[in-house]
Amino acid sequence: MFLLIGAASLVALLRYSDVNVWWEYLQEPYLWRVIQFSLWQALLSSVISLVVAIPVASCLIHRQFRGRALLLQLFAVSMVVPTIVAILGLVVVYGRTGWLSQIFGVQIPLYGLVGILLAHVFFNMPLAVRLLLQGYGLIPSGQWRQASQLGFSRWTAFRLIEWHYMKKVLPGAFVLIFMLCFSSFAVVLSLGGGPKSSTLEVAIYQALRFDFDLNKASFLSLLQVSICTLFAVIVYRIAPINRQDASLLAVKSYPVKDSIWARSADGTALLCVLILVVPPFLAIFDPVFSSTFLTTLLSSGLWQAVFISLKIALPAALLSLLLGICFCVLARFCMERKYLSVLPSKLEHLGNMILMVPGLVIATGLFLWLRDIGWHFTSSYWIVVWVNAVMALPFVLRILMPIFYQQERRFRHVYLSLGIKNWSRWRLEWTLVRTSVAQAFAYALLLSLGDMGVIALFGSQGLVSLPLYLFQLIGSYRLEEGACVAVVLISLCLILFYCSSRFIGGGAARGKSHVIR
Amino acid sequence: MNKLSLTSLFSTSLLTLSVTFSSATLATETLNVYTYDAFASDWGPGPKIKANFEKECDCELNFVALDSSVGILSRAQLEGKASEADVLLGLDLNLMEAAKKTGLLANHSVDTSNVTVAGGWNDKTFVPFDQGHFAFIYNSETLKNPPTSLKDIVDNQDLRVIYQDPRTSTPGLGLLLWMKSIYGDKAAQAWGRLATHTVTVTKSWSDAYGLFLKGEADLVLSYTTSPAYHIVAEGEKKYKAADAREGLYPQVEVAAMMKSAPHPELAKRFMQFILQPGFQSVIPTGNWMLPVVALDEKLPAAFDSALKPTKNIVLPAADVAKNRKAWVNEWLNATTR
Repeated sequence: MFLLIGAASLVALLRYSDVNVWWEYLQEPYLWRVIQFSLWQALLSSVISLVVAIPVASCLIHRQFRGRALLLQLFAVSMVVPTIVAILGLVVVYGRTGWLSQIFGVQIPLYGLVGILLAHVFFNMPLAVRLLLQGYGLIPSGQWRQASQLGFSRWTAFRLIEWHYMKKVLPGAFVLIFMLCFSSFAVVLSLGGGPKSSTLEVAIYQALRFDFDLNKASFLSLLQVSICTLFAVIVYRIAPINRQDASLLAVKSYPVKDSIWARSADGTALLCVLILVVPPFLAIFDPVFSSTFLTTLLSSGLWQAVFISLKIALPAALLSLLLGICFCVLARFCMERKYLSVLPSKLEHLGNMILMVPGLVIATGLFLWLRDIGWHFTSSYWIVVWVNAVMALPFVLRILMPIFYQQERRFRHVYLSLGIKNWSRWRLEWTLVRTSVAQAFAYALLLSLGDMGVIALFGSQGLVSLPLYLFQLIGSYRLEEGACVAVVLISLCLILFYCSSRFIGGGAARGKSHVIR
Repeated sequence: MNKLSLTSLFSTSLLTLSVTFSSATLATETLNVYTYDAFASDWGPGPKIKANFEKECDCELNFVALDSSVGILSRAQLEGKASEADVLLGLDLNLMEAAKKTGLLANHSVDTSNVTVAGGWNDKTFVPFDQGHFAFIYNSETLKNPPTSLKDIVDNQDLRVIYQDPRTSTPGLGLLLWMKSIYGDKAAQAWGRLATHTVTVTKSWSDAYGLFLKGEADLVLSYTTSPAYHIVAEGEKKYKAADAREGLYPQVEVAAMMKSAPHPELAKRFMQFILQPGFQSVIPTGNWMLPVVALDEKLPAAFDSALKPTKNIVLPAADVAKNRKAWVNEWLNATTR
């Protein structure tokens, strides 16, 4: 159903298209340069994000230290930081008069590929870490116990155990981050240092907004979808086939032998985080100490916006979660039946396609479609909720799929032989999946909270969400107040994320898998 | 007892219902005005204009805030004839042709003879509501020798410049036209020279201005009235607009009525109202632009610092509409070489 919506919006746009002109578009040399650059920066961004994320994830699993929980929380919210806020945060750290040049006298050429990569790693490395930690959650405790008994070093444990599970998560994470970077917009323009650095998304925006050229917009979106699909197909072709293990779940983690090498590797990983992710966050939270912060907090507009944001994000996240769970149940129903077994992965890829279609295109297509079927926008509220839910779905699926599959692999025969079905089965499973469900819900919540595109297109009087409020402030010189609102937004995200893992996840969502025997 | 309370509850709810209904029938008409978000925000000119207009019209004025001036037009285009909009407020000079071509806009009947826009105003569809000029802003504490012409800015390799992308932002398009009107056929070479000392080209005005305030550039493309904001709202006098001997490119924001306006009479009254003091006096410190008619009260002193260009350079709207794509491509080719 949700796929239909996505497809329908694209089709609605395509109805305005004229294929004959498409050939002409393809011959613009600038278009090819843009595609080349997009591919290059997205590839670099996603590879760097993952390469940094692997040791960080391993370190976070093996070590307990002060601030670890907070770091994990920060990792979760990094991707909702509004782009302009993140850009300004990066500038405060790496810019001409930034901390780096003030303290160390180091001047890095921020504008260009370096800036884009820094920003993309800031947004996506934390996401990668969280996805990898999910992979760690699948490691059965028996393997850890053996590793501990055999006196594995960290490297051996990584090679023989961890890598095996990471391989399952890596291709998905790679494709996801690649797509996010490929369609990145404001970051690429602002930090790119000129129109040399541009993405297809910029051209789509231009065609849709400035030229109102629906034909070109639909062509470019199709092109973007094709390129991303091609990329995904290649990655999944190369990637090893995903096999789930039927072993028991983790009970507790056993310590693996520590060594000076392990310690220094972990130290380096944490240093990377300290350099790449933490300073921009500090810069973003800096306005807390300014006098404007209090006056911003006291304005009624802010709290109105907080209310509206919650009013949109909560139902959107619920809807997204519901869709996601239905999807997973359907997928695993198919999984064990031979003739249907190819369906789930195909469905999953289809779900990912929503990410490849720019939000603006989905929203515009939906707008046209709804107009054509004669529905007027007396309440844009539900459309905003609905579109947000659909947009969050790929993330929800990425989190839910592995754990649901695993449940099926491990306990299907038990359930079948004992005749446990439907609701009672669900009740048994709940304790096992609730951590992931909480995380999926939280991600959907955060994505809807941070949404700008959908609400900007469908928005109407009285529907001013927090990010929109922030942009209004920044759009009329009030940068400082905007920065304060950003702090409020991020804090709200942190609180909601915490609550979600606390109340839905039962307090176990700390990157460790749930305990049960 | 239970039954009694239930009946009373029922009757009370009926009563409330009927009250709601009667108030609904008594309710006045609502005029829908599509505008951009900053205009309708709490600190923008919107709320005061709403109050002033409602005082005399016996109606309700509803601002629908969209993300940008381009957003207003594309929303109206998306909705087409079924749009609930009565008035579009916040398009600018360079969007006028495109907006007219949609065939969605009606002619106005407002007398624009007292409009102070350079060269006068005789457009049949649009009524101007504020004006200003694009200009590069600098920090006078860090930039001791500010440029005095556009040529300076283009050629002086020591100046670090940030401007906006003409494909996605209004000021960016303004600069494109400014360069074109000064350099004509040589614009491509000029863009090439500017590109060598351009820090970055951003998506929107906010990104560019934010980077500038963080000290990333010496000059940022904005409006002549920008320093006035810093003086009035922050008491900060260090930001100044760089003059340009060749002339500054004008920015005029305009409003128009929809042909399909659900409330045409009210819309006409609002179009008249745009040029009256109740609207115009709110503009300077609300939208940080200049009014388009002479007002009785003087502007705040901060606006004295706003440059008043002597030369009127503006490309005809028809030319802009015809050549915009070609000029954008020229800019692209010159800056990505």
